[in-house]
Amino acid sequence: MKKKKLLCLLMAAVMAASVFTGCGDSKKESGADTSTDADAADDGEIKEFTAFFAVPGSEINDDNEIQQMIAEKTGAKVKETWLTGQTQEEAIGTLIAGGEYPDFIEGGSSSVQLYEAGALVALDDYIEKYPNIKELFTEQEWDQLRQDDGHIYWLPQFSNIYGEEKECTHNDEAFWIQTRVLKWADYPEIRTMDEYFDLIEAYNEANPTMEDGTANIPYTILCEDWRYFCLENAPEFLDGYPNDGSVIVDPKTETVIDYNTTDTAVAYFKKLNDEYKKGIIDPESFTQTYDEYIAKISSGRVLGMIDQWWDFAYTGYDAIKAAGLDKQGCSYVPLPITIDRSVKNQWHNSGGVLNVSSGLAVTTSCEDVEGALQFVNDLLGQEIHDLRFWGVKGVDYEVNGDGTYYKTVDMRTKASDSAYKASHLCTYSYFPQWLGTSRDGINAMKPDGQPQEFFDGLTDDVKECFNAYGVMTYVDMLGTSPAPGPWYPMYTYSSTMTTATEGGTAWAKMAEVKHEYLPKVVMADDFDAGWAEYMDAYNACNPDAFIAEMQTELERRIAEAAKYE
Amino acid sequence: MAIARKTKTTIQQAKPRITWAEVKKQKALLIWGGLIFIYGVIFCYLPLAGWLMAFQNYKPKDGLLHSQFVGLAKFKMLFSDEAFIRVIRNTLAMGVINLVVTFVTAIAFAILLNEIVSKKGKKTVQTISYLPHFLSWIIVTGILHDALSGTGIINELLMNFHLISQPINFFAHEKYFWPIVAFANVWKETGWNAIIYLSAITSIDPSLYEAAAIDGAGRWGKIKHVTLPGIKPTIIILLLMNVGNVLNAGFEIQYLLGNGLVQKVSQTIDIYVLKWGISQGDYALGTAAGIFKSVVSIVLILVANQIAKKNGEERLF
Repeated sequence: MKKKKLLCLLMAAVMAASVFTGCGDSKKESGADTSTDADAADDGEIKEFTAFFAVPGSEINDDNEIQQMIAEKTGAKVKETWLTGQTQEEAIGTLIAGGEYPDFIEGGSSSVQLYEAGALVALDDYIEKYPNIKELFTEQEWDQLRQDDGHIYWLPQFSNIYGEEKECTHNDEAFWIQTRVLKWADYPEIRTMDEYFDLIEAYNEANPTMEDGTANIPYTILCEDWRYFCLENAPEFLDGYPNDGSVIVDPKTETVIDYNTTDTAVAYFKKLNDEYKKGIIDPESFTQTYDEYIAKISSGRVLGMIDQWWDFAYTGYDAIKAAGLDKQGCSYVPLPITIDRSVKNQWHNSGGVLNVSSGLAVTTSCEDVEGALQFVNDLLGQEIHDLRFWGVKGVDYEVNGDGTYYKTVDMRTKASDSAYKASHLCTYSYFPQWLGTSRDGINAMKPDGQPQEFFDGLTDDVKECFNAYGVMTYVDMLGTSPAPGPWYPMYTYSSTMTTATEGGTAWAKMAEVKHEYLPKVVMADDFDAGWAEYMDAYNACNPDAFIAEMQTELERRIAEAAKYE
Repeated sequence: MAIARKTKTTIQQAKPRITWAEVKKQKALLIWGGLIFIYGVIFCYLPLAGWLMAFQNYKPKDGLLHSQFVGLAKFKMLFSDEAFIRVIRNTLAMGVINLVVTFVTAIAFAILLNEIVSKKGKKTVQTISYLPHFLSWIIVTGILHDALSGTGIINELLMNFHLISQPINFFAHEKYFWPIVAFANVWKETGWNAIIYLSAITSIDPSLYEAAAIDGAGRWGKIKHVTLPGIKPTIIILLLMNVGNVLNAGFEIQYLLGNGLVQKVSQTIDIYVLKWGISQGDYALGTAAGIFKSVVSIVLILVANQIAKKNGEERLF
């Protein structure tokens, strides 16, 4: 009898245990307050996915409010992790070597490696089932996303424009300058590199310090690791070409040109060399880390630099605003600079750039691919999309009588506060999303595309500057041009190259040489000798092999696009 | 050679016979020994199967079993790469510099510390000096970056003493890199490394010092004739172990302090493996470089051990 009792107890315990393991890692949540919503998960259970994005980002709190709301509406949430202390390639290379992946992954320039390692799930068969995902791209674009085995593995997130394009911020690369410099010179028209540096020199001579006596840094160059584009790729823009990234494409002859060796490149680096000798260029430019660079930007000391907006705006510029340094005119605006006044600039392109080389992918480690894609689909619905980017109605934005969304000053300040971002806002920023006009036909998909909202959110010094130049937005400062051709942008190919091909090896070696010699050229006592030495090392990398592979890809893309005409 | 064989045979003769009674008696020891043996097999020897990769054109999709064998092609590629030759040079150079300076400073520091009469003073200095050991390299390199920057304390001091007129940008010149790394290692590890010598010194028989004093030895004489010979076995064993570590000249510090301007002198074998093996996805090449490093380390340690043996000193095996 006693034995039987014991056995019963044991069995009960086993059953109880099996119930718990049955739940797996999905947390049980009460679905009581979601029952009114049509989208709510039926059983009230919330699925949890994991995601890794091979880009730096800020993690949000586990009890983030909007994430919880989205979870209640869609029945799923994603724990996001970001790149820290490693490069993109190192992080992905390590994951592949380990062979275990999170459910979602964005591999950046290493996405192809993930595909080649067989780590990704082909999405073609699923796409048809999810209308919001299907809607993201045209047939031609979907075909562009196919890998060499004919399947689609990832969804680029940032190029989709719904309805009319609404873009006010120049999210890309430019020569930036503080408004105080322009104001001091009474808002002159600055169009060339020479004019730009002349102005900075003149201003710095007249005003060597900030209001509190801290010395200005007239011009700094970020060149840590992959961020050395701030030094490296200006020659393509100076010649009036758009950001193909790794090469220039001449649209007339449809040939690839190496921008590292053009006359403009020589002129640009010679100019930097001159300015370095004059003490205009920050002597720590080439040894500073990204953090040190952002600290300098945040202090408001830096008068000008080349950078991508996303690389400094959300850290450095937000800090400038938080410290009230915009009252001194420390906000940055972009300038339409080329090598010569006769050259038209293409710093800004309209139409959204489809970066086919990377995007959000689902890995073979994901046990519930349909659930994962259902979540991506739900995130693209208008209601959730508004939650992601506008926030909660009445808390993060208000609605006018005519249906337009707006924010109060208070709401705007809160939205750029990092603690509030972590505890309240959840944009799922590396999941697919829309730019352009909301499905309601009135608002922008994101607040920074809403013209009134954008203008109200500007600091006074930027407003004054825009008024002086008679423009409304950052984009207007530069003007805009459509994408030059179906091949654009070529960097989506070069960033996927590996040492498996001759051209890829050359590309890796060229980067290594440029990392070392470009700073040396800028710092050289004798520029011509320094440049000759650089060219020797550069040519030893066999750049022609790289250019030849880019040319082949260019022709392939043009031929591919011709099929749709 | 003859002596070696002789000792071998005497050892064999002296071996006790293994009986069940003996096994039973040493049950606990055998179990623990077995566990450690299994641990060694699983974590140290099984992973070596991955070395196969170096002889393949390894593709993660195909795995170890289905990747194509290419023989020594990856090694050939490695040794025809100028960059690899350069990282070997850097690793060896930084390894040797670090070994010599950390070694000498630790011994000197231990002896100096031992000469302090006040017990309290000694303990305080010792505690403070080994604290940096517990800082991670990311913090140490952060401090170095700040201290050596254009407006950092080092440049300010040099300017105030009028030794220089312009701040030196220490991280922009190749010639400063190895000394900076060596300095950082000394600063971080001297106190920690001195601990073992200090304990060796305390185990020296005090009567030796008394005898030396009677013979007229001063402080210097005692150090030279008693302390140093007393800790010689410790010094030799640690030297041998560290020689095997020369190629582990470091990864974090060079990775964190390096930049494009000094990459020719800053990159070590480990950084090379990370860059071409992991980042560029050529795992085979990375493995080949790793194998090379292990083989050289084994050779180094064998050679050093042999030299010690020849000179009749302490040795590892």
